[in-house]
Amino acid sequence: MSALLPLATLASSLITAAVIFMLPEQAVRTRTALNLGAALVKLVLVLWMARGLVAGETYAVEFPVVPGLGFVLHVDELGLTFAALSSILWLFTTMYAIGYLEGSPNRRRFFGFFSLCVASTIGISLAGNLFTLLIFYEVLTLSTYPLVAHRGTPQALAAATVYLRYTLTAGLVLMVGMVALHVVAGDLRFGQQETLARLADGQEALLIGLFWVLLLGFGVKAALVPLHGWLPRAMVAPAPVSALLHAVAVVKAGAFGIVRLVYDIYGIGFSAALGVLDGLVVIASVTIVYGSVRALAQQELKPRLAFSTVSQVSYIVLGIGLFGPLGTIAALAHLLHQGLMKVTLFFCAGNYAEELGIHRIDELDGVGRRMPLSSLAFTIGALGMIGMPPVAGFITKWTLGLGAVQADMPWVIAVLIASTLLNAAYFLPILNRLWFRRGPAQGIGTWPDERPPSRFETSAWLLVPALATALLSLLAGMLAGLPFSPLQWATRVVQQTYQVIPL
Amino acid sequence: MAPAAAWGLAGLLLLVAGFCLVERQLWRACQGFVAFGLLMALAWLLLGAPWLALAEALLGAVLTGGTLLWTLRGRGALPRLALRDETPRRARVTAPLRWLLMLAWLGLTGFALLRLLGLEALTPPASATTLSAATGVLIMGPAVWGFATQRHLLRRLLAFNLLGSGVFLLLAGLAGPVAEVQGLILVGLVVALLGSVLGAALLLRLHAAAGLVSLEPAAGADP
Amino acid sequence: MNPTSFHVLWLLCAPPALGLLTLVRPPRHGALVLLAGLPLPLVALWLLLGLDTGPLAGQLALGPLLLHWRLDGLAALLWLLTMVLLLASALYAAGYARAAPLDARAYAWLWPLLGGLATGLGLIWIAADLLLLYAGLELMGLCAVGMLLLPGSVAALTAGLRYLLFALVGSLTWLLGIALLLGAWGRLDLAGLAAVAQPDPVTAIAVALLASGLLLKASIFPLHGWLVPVHGSAWTPVSAIHGALVVKASFFILLLLWRLLLPDAIAGALALGALGSLAVLWGGVQAWRAAGLKELVAWSTVGQLGYLMLAFPLLAGTGAAVAALAWQATWLQLAGHALAKSAMFMAAGNLLLATGATRLEGLTGTSRRLPLSLLTFGLAAVTLMGLPPSAGFTAKWLWLQASLAAGQWAWVAVLGLGTLLSAAYVFRVLRCSFVEDAPEPVLRGLPLGMELVALALALAAIGLGLAAAWPLALLPPVSVP
Repeated sequence: MSALLPLATLASSLITAAVIFMLPEQAVRTRTALNLGAALVKLVLVLWMARGLVAGETYAVEFPVVPGLGFVLHVDELGLTFAALSSILWLFTTMYAIGYLEGSPNRRRFFGFFSLCVASTIGISLAGNLFTLLIFYEVLTLSTYPLVAHRGTPQALAAATVYLRYTLTAGLVLMVGMVALHVVAGDLRFGQQETLARLADGQEALLIGLFWVLLLGFGVKAALVPLHGWLPRAMVAPAPVSALLHAVAVVKAGAFGIVRLVYDIYGIGFSAALGVLDGLVVIASVTIVYGSVRALAQQELKPRLAFSTVSQVSYIVLGIGLFGPLGTIAALAHLLHQGLMKVTLFFCAGNYAEELGIHRIDELDGVGRRMPLSSLAFTIGALGMIGMPPVAGFITKWTLGLGAVQADMPWVIAVLIASTLLNAAYFLPILNRLWFRRGPAQGIGTWPDERPPSRFETSAWLLVPALATALLSLLAGMLAGLPFSPLQWATRVVQQTYQVIPL
Repeated sequence: MAPAAAWGLAGLLLLVAGFCLVERQLWRACQGFVAFGLLMALAWLLLGAPWLALAEALLGAVLTGGTLLWTLRGRGALPRLALRDETPRRARVTAPLRWLLMLAWLGLTGFALLRLLGLEALTPPASATTLSAATGVLIMGPAVWGFATQRHLLRRLLAFNLLGSGVFLLLAGLAGPVAEVQGLILVGLVVALLGSVLGAALLLRLHAAAGLVSLEPAAGADP
Repeated sequence: MNPTSFHVLWLLCAPPALGLLTLVRPPRHGALVLLAGLPLPLVALWLLLGLDTGPLAGQLALGPLLLHWRLDGLAALLWLLTMVLLLASALYAAGYARAAPLDARAYAWLWPLLGGLATGLGLIWIAADLLLLYAGLELMGLCAVGMLLLPGSVAALTAGLRYLLFALVGSLTWLLGIALLLGAWGRLDLAGLAAVAQPDPVTAIAVALLASGLLLKASIFPLHGWLVPVHGSAWTPVSAIHGALVVKASFFILLLLWRLLLPDAIAGALALGALGSLAVLWGGVQAWRAAGLKELVAWSTVGQLGYLMLAFPLLAGTGAAVAALAWQATWLQLAGHALAKSAMFMAAGNLLLATGATRLEGLTGTSRRLPLSLLTFGLAAVTLMGLPPSAGFTAKWLWLQASLAAGQWAWVAVLGLGTLLSAAYVFRVLRCSFVEDAPEPVLRGLPLGMELVALALALAAIGLGLAAAWPLALLPPVSVP
């Protein structure tokens, strides 16, 4: 049983992708049922594994690819965090995509690669060594290209090309770094961080160098400044793809890679001893502030959200860089929190564009009255991003602040405050427009006249996912004390995997 | 000293090879090649390899030579080639790489022979085998030149066949007419025959389709 | 029952026999080809599995002449690969004959030539003396020229004649090299030659001559000029098997002889590695600039062959651990590229045949209308780019590991640039296929078999990357001087 579950989880999306590619374009109902069914099955499998893991079971698959190098799937708490995030959000994003792309061409291709993309995310989360991680990391690159290029317009194709340039080069750098590490230390499994620490004698410079090479590789997908250039341009993709790129798959895969690098390859103690964590904190702080400043300058909604992602994902990196259990807890919790909140924001932005044709921020006046539920979800997400209690974002920022104190880096708190102010500066005007400005008069403004063909303000396929993720991000904040909340799960990861006791 | 007959044969081989390479009248050049093949057969006989002599006469002189002659005067459905090579020779300066390769070929062979045979290589050949090797090298020189500088495909095929014969003579000269050498030469003869047949057939089709007798359409077009 | 020399002989003779049979009535249905051809890979597989007791070797006496052959794990693996690709090409050709307007007589000749090619390749894999290698090389070369020239267009004829002249001269340099070896050491069998030959200047010159002939036939930079025009006009199934195997066979012989005669010639090995690097870069750049799809795929062959040349510097004087890595990388790369390249040629052929285009711009919108062919192209491209999971990726990992462990940093840069260049040209094609607002040409329907054969090969190249442990375990260990 122990080998079956990870494989089944992986297969649930892979097989879905294969079947979708084989189905004819017109088989909409079958495809929809298949998509949702597979998403549910996967969610159940991941939760089942989480339950088993708590009960002390182990799940692992391993076979040699070449002598001395194995394909390893190994389920641990950290990997499961990411797996849970992607399977929850896959369910909602799939629902959303079904509604969003209704009646548009090339849906077979879209959903096929969509499933492949999620399969690779699951692969990344369950990978048990760097080699396996790299396999899925690159498959992720390949399977997101068709999604970014989906519309086939010159802008979309150009953005997809830029995306490839960044990610393929990064993948190459990553590969060289991983092979070099392999030459130094052999086939490193995650969780054997003492191996490197033992080897370190006399090779510190080499190991520090390799750390930065690997960070460079992961940093592109994690959109660390100055490697973030692809992210805003990839905004031309359809809204569900943006949601996927920002909340679940690509950016998070980069951040998750950094988590693995620091905790499971080098080990947090050894990283601190090598002195690489300080650099990480500086990079993260710069990214946080820079992303926020750039977000402030954007006049369109999706680019603003994109730069907000650049900034927010670096909270995870910041938490990693803060040596100490609280920083770790904050990083892991934010992995989940940011996903939930950001996906909500993108869903809502998609709804505005789909329903009212709104792309610019100054067109949002009065939308709160026309689309109250979407706007409510957006508000929750935005407040969470700013860090207002009781939304999940507050928990992260609070824990991060505590972590900074614990790590004796008080200037990080200044960064947090600055970023919070900036967040407020670019999100509050949007909320103001949504709720407190008057929209164009009914029937003569820029909004389409006719009501949507549903009981709600927009199609239920689009509305329900947005509300659900908004609710989840609210609950993640309000019920942070319950077991299995992101915060508690992160604490558990820290306790179980790293044997350090939080304050 | 090698017997006088061997010296005479070597001289004849060189003469006929040279004639085949410089003659622009294709029909006569091809006839020359048939004569060359028969002389080669005689040489194998002299070296004590009668079966090889038979193979050379059959494969080299009759079949390969016959193929080349048939290319010129055949009764096939395809239009005939002109009997005279009118293509201009390549200017020396335009093909430095060809010259370099040519000299490399000959230089490497010469150096290796010096290493293998020692100073004996510089004195007049003392035995039939060394004479054969020397003849082989002397045939290879102009044959490489012809192959590299000529344009007409039939003449290049001719040059290739002569070059091959030079290599065979060198091979037999270096190792003696043992079974391995005979096997290698036999395979070489078959390859040369098949290559010539294939090349000639292609040349005829190329000529029929585009009026070309060389690989460079601009300079080598048939008048 | 254990494999015997009789089975080896059968596997050598069966393909041309089948080919001659089909000369009478060339097949037009894949099912028939599959039925007749399936025993070939199966027997090859059976031979491979039967080798667990050690390699099979023997001598064949033709009068006073002794021919040596030897079937070890590597030879059997390559033979299996040959037979699989042969069958795939044959299956594809049967569909191709129905979908494309082919001259009936030319099509009939394809079959015996395919058979002869298989025999030539088989001889090369099992040959243990220079005479047998020579015979195999020439048989393969002549059959290959014949096959490439079947279309009979002027472009094909010119390109093919150039290739023929090159190949003939190449075979003479080869013979000259043998003459020197035979004159110096008096033997032709590889085992005996390895025992007596010293790495002196004559051996070096002989190997240089052999190498120049072989490099030409393997179309290694800068002797690659004939490859692209030939592929541009050849039939797709012919391109597939030529790009996949024929050029590799010359590389195989070169590596074999080099390891045997000059195992310690580090400067020469570095020079070959440098040639390979230039091939990677030049082939990549040219593929990126190519206007036609088949040209692009052919240039990519030039580039990919360059990776194989890295075997020389990494095997010469680098120590047992590095040599073992490079040894595995070489054969994995070769097999992966063979599978992927033939899949890619077939997929490209399908795209071109269906759209009637030859240039990349003709492929606009194909991701919607020819998804299966495009998917196959993409999967094959994954291997060529060396992205996971694929044989190309695993091989690249091994190359990188060997280069880093040997401290030969230059190859890391070559591998990296090669990857980026191949991504650049592959995504040029894929990008065209995503364009939506182009006029839609009329599509010609293709037999499903043609698409499935290509897809199966591409998937095999992907799967080989994850299941590399099995074939690599069958490889004979590399001998380190």
